[in-house]
Amino acid sequence: MHPRVHRAVFRSRAGSRTSNSSILISSTTSVDTASRTKKNPRTRRPISTNSNTGVAVAMTAEQNNVHNAAVSVVDSLITESSTSQDDVVRLCAGLILDGQLPHLQRQLHADFLTIPMSFQLPPNYTGLDASKPWLVYWPLQALGILDPDSLTDDILSRIGPSIMACLNETEGAFGGGNGQTSHLAATYACLNALAIAQDEDVWLQINRERLYKWLMSVKRPDGGFSMHVGGEEDVRAVYCALASAALLNIITPELTEGTAEWISRCQTYEGGIGGAPDNEAHGGYAFCGLAALCILGNPIEMIPKHLDVDNLVRWLSARQYQPEGGFSGRTNKLVDGCYSWWVGGCWSILEGALSWITAKDVLWSKADLQKYILCCCQSPRGGLRDKPGKSSDFYHSCYVLSGLSEAQHRYSFSPKLRDSSTGKWSFMWAYKLELPDVVIVDEQNTVRPINPVHVLPAGTGERMHDFYAALGALEL
Amino acid sequence: MPLAYLSDYSWDDVIPIPQDDGGENPLALIAYHDDYKIATGYLRAVMSIEEVSDRALQLTSDLIFMNPAHYTVWAYRARLLFALKKDLEEELIWVEEVSRQFLKNYQIWNHREVIVDKYDNPIRELPFIEEMLELDSKNYHVWSYRQWLVRRFDLWVTELAYTDHMIQDDVRNNSAWNHRFFAVFGKGEDVGQSVIDDEIDYAKSAILKAPQNASAWNYLIGLLKRGERPMSDIEKFCNDLAAVQTTEHAVNVDNDRISSARALEVLADIYNSRNEVDKAAQAWTLLAEKYDPIRENYWKFKKSQAIQRLAATA
Repeated sequence: MHPRVHRAVFRSRAGSRTSNSSILISSTTSVDTASRTKKNPRTRRPISTNSNTGVAVAMTAEQNNVHNAAVSVVDSLITESSTSQDDVVRLCAGLILDGQLPHLQRQLHADFLTIPMSFQLPPNYTGLDASKPWLVYWPLQALGILDPDSLTDDILSRIGPSIMACLNETEGAFGGGNGQTSHLAATYACLNALAIAQDEDVWLQINRERLYKWLMSVKRPDGGFSMHVGGEEDVRAVYCALASAALLNIITPELTEGTAEWISRCQTYEGGIGGAPDNEAHGGYAFCGLAALCILGNPIEMIPKHLDVDNLVRWLSARQYQPEGGFSGRTNKLVDGCYSWWVGGCWSILEGALSWITAKDVLWSKADLQKYILCCCQSPRGGLRDKPGKSSDFYHSCYVLSGLSEAQHRYSFSPKLRDSSTGKWSFMWAYKLELPDVVIVDEQNTVRPINPVHVLPAGTGERMHDFYAALGALEL
Repeated sequence: MPLAYLSDYSWDDVIPIPQDDGGENPLALIAYHDDYKIATGYLRAVMSIEEVSDRALQLTSDLIFMNPAHYTVWAYRARLLFALKKDLEEELIWVEEVSRQFLKNYQIWNHREVIVDKYDNPIRELPFIEEMLELDSKNYHVWSYRQWLVRRFDLWVTELAYTDHMIQDDVRNNSAWNHRFFAVFGKGEDVGQSVIDDEIDYAKSAILKAPQNASAWNYLIGLLKRGERPMSDIEKFCNDLAAVQTTEHAVNVDNDRISSARALEVLADIYNSRNEVDKAAQAWTLLAEKYDPIRENYWKFKKSQAIQRLAATA
């Protein structure tokens, strides 16, 4: 056992914060310090980015997105929303470099991310005690694309027992910790962690028949899923159920009946997707809905069939803010590094799966997102964060780095990769490094590609799925 | 070291079940405080036999204050409340205390839904929701809960006025705008053209207060689509905000009179829908180069799509 509690984590308030700011767990971003400071400026005016010093990669004018002709139109009316927005712009403006990009602090972040493998987390992490599988998955996913060599055999071999401690044997599903009720988000995080572990002995311990029956027990007659028996029904639950079933190769027509139609009902008049029908459009739920459609069938057909794509693309495009360069999760909310993945992941899927977007088209600014991540989301103590002024945590580290990977790569859906049949659709994604005229990827800043539907290091989910596919069909 | 709550009830007959974190060297161990460790040990023990008792209920109260995100405890608590036939109003009052302390927690709202559904009486709900939204006006779970409540108890009549109150407070509160759309269309009935007219006027007057406000624009465009009105209905309104002079093929913009990039975007869509692709293309170019350059790629894409479509039909 680990006798020492890690001090860097102890000093932060990451435990209480992350418990409330992670999409798949609570879907709300926490109240930020910026919105609490009430330094109402008399009038709103555009805030320009400042020059700064620091080691960097030189960028071309194109890369730096210098828009010389740009005219900022800012409303003079001050409200709570505009005050917090102005505060964030001011915070970011001081950090965004003009013409230069800071490096990704690889070692610093790797050191932060290996904390849960080397130390006990301090008591303020108790708020995440019902999210233990996430505390395992987030740093593994982040390290898997940042620094796979740091995932030693020792660490990989400890994933299986840590995850199996969350298993409820009679149901075949996982809870948020030892002895906790089976839960879809926990099950998703557990299976993703096991995918990264690549441990066939542990894979054999999963009872897929039981898990399938449990998944059917949380399926609702309207096509949606509940997070747990008697729990809330939302599009995260749909995504977590389908992603889990896809990894285990237990997708059936019965499991997926009515689900695409239910997702379709979650698209709002704004174009984004809400947690449930009528709920506000939200980046986290948009990813869950879109990724779920990519599991349900051929995304080239499924996405246009069940969503108003023009309206979705318009809404996604409006998520990227100037001058920050990062994404917000909802209209008139602030940028947050975690949406680098939730919104960026939507882009990777759409770019890869829509026939009318050609390989030449990039519909958003990958260079500006990379800049936001490198300039504003790197915490000096290691780990990635929501925005300047916030502490880093494992949740943000996972999704900010996944977003960076998204910005640096170009994904395509390639049905020729395997035979097209039920349950295989989410394992047909190919990738390549993005072109330098879209985003300059310095070698030192590169993170590895991912499977954009499962949010796993490329290849890991594919191998887990193939393992179960080779075992043959289930007797259901 | 007996904890305060452990002295209220006898626990002598219960053997706590320790937590098994898996293997000899598990990942992501948490150094819990002793009281939490003890309480969860008893929780696993009473839950293993699904004990129904007042002491189990007390245990869930204590644990929720130590970790309100513990969904297993909330679900057990709901089962206990029903099995012990507890006063549900008292429970709602207790939940309000918890909510005030843990503003961002969301398990609370699912629990409240379960309790109110059984209680079958929404009397405490709207005032409490309003209190919560005063503290955090865009709380996703509170707004979702309000939608559930409105449907469950047919409380539609108050909703337009409430969203107006919230929009007056902050015209950029998108959650309030989303709720307004729900209040107008959520019943699924044909709302009638006069309601659509009123809402269009409401959105327009909000836009005039802050012409860049995406929330009001999204609402306006959503209304037009839902009401099957052509976008050209708001062409003049957009022209006033984007001061565009058009000749047959060209768009000229008077810089000083552009107060809304979105108005320019809508104009581009209107021109495009009329096959005036040259004019639309110029508007998109202005957006890409001047008025919304972070989205340069998107505007260029719109432009190339329109040009391709024109070529295909020619």
